Amino acid sequence: MRFQDAARDGRAVVYAAIQGDPLVARAAELLSQASQAERILARAVMNGESTEADRWRRMFPTLFGPAPVAGEASAAGEPGCSALERSEAILTASLAVAERGEQVRSQVRGAIVEELTARLLARRSPAAAIRRERRILFDGVPAEIHPYDVTVEVSGSFEAFDCKWGARGINADVLYQLDDARTHAFDEEEPLRVAIVVFDAERSCRIRLEAQTAPYAQTRLVALEQLDSLARPGPAGQ
Amino acid sequence: MDANPTLGMLLEAAIAAEDALADLGESIDAEWSYVNDLRQAWSDRLDEVASGPQGAQPAGPAVVAAIGLAIDEVGRIADPHRAIDWLSTFPQVVLLAAGAAIGPTSDGRAG
Repeated sequence: MRFQDAARDGRAVVYAAIQGDPLVARAAELLSQASQAERILARAVMNGESTEADRWRRMFPTLFGPAPVAGEASAAGEPGCSALERSEAILTASLAVAERGEQVRSQVRGAIVEELTARLLARRSPAAAIRRERRILFDGVPAEIHPYDVTVEVSGSFEAFDCKWGARGINADVLYQLDDARTHAFDEEEPLRVAIVVFDAERSCRIRLEAQTAPYAQTRLVALEQLDSLARPGPAGQ
Repeated sequence: MDANPTLGMLLEAAIAAEDALADLGESIDAEWSYVNDLRQAWSDRLDEVASGPQGAQPAGPAVVAAIGLAIDEVGRIADPHRAIDWLSTFPQVVLLAAGAAIGPTSDGRAG
């Protein structure tokens, strides 16, 4: 088993520009420190129709009300700005995403989930081991067309992640690709953990998964509620 | 809507808004089953909170405003693809405003 950079085709060049947008890095950094409630705020605003900040503040009284409770602490438990300041920063970044055109916002949201995943993984794995847009090659097996969004390339403890903005992104192609990689790695006696990271509620992800015929028993689900498990040693998610 | 609604009344209104979203989303034929499974699962969760001890309590003004605005937000959606995204997002926003847990999940674990 070996890892390889994805081909620099037209799609990769366009998508690299999206991934390199400073807004992606800013949003991902904020969300890496966010509480679950703040992540739901980001999801709602980035999906939303309205771009009036005050409407969103009033829709999330636990974050912006007189006595914020839900966003009291950084998910990572790290010191930094106050809960209210962090919620405001997440709202501002999310509105900046929402104000992009429909197609661009969709690409930016996907890139944010990938960057968020990479940043959380970097809390427990060496930064140099966390790679983006990589293919995994096996002897005698044709390479997959689509690269893996994020990989952790630590000898003896390899991991591959596919990242989705919403539960609807879970589909047979993604599940087959992840499970095939795990199976081929097993055949070569290389442990490879595979997971799908979804910036959506576990309840919705489970509904989507249960309707799939592709194998997923050995593919871990990291839903919005479990994102912080990516930063801890051991298998992430459920 | 009652001038001083209980949380249960607000959640019943949210279930109606979730139904409207599902009606819009199910126009995507390939997603009909997923849309209706989402509708059922999240409506069940909202109803669970509405029928529980919290449901009979009067809702504070901030909660009334929050859930009212969330219902208004989904009422603006005309695109069925975005409606499908909101079928999952909207109940989370409402449950958060209501001070209720998002879970438990469909297999019974705490969410």
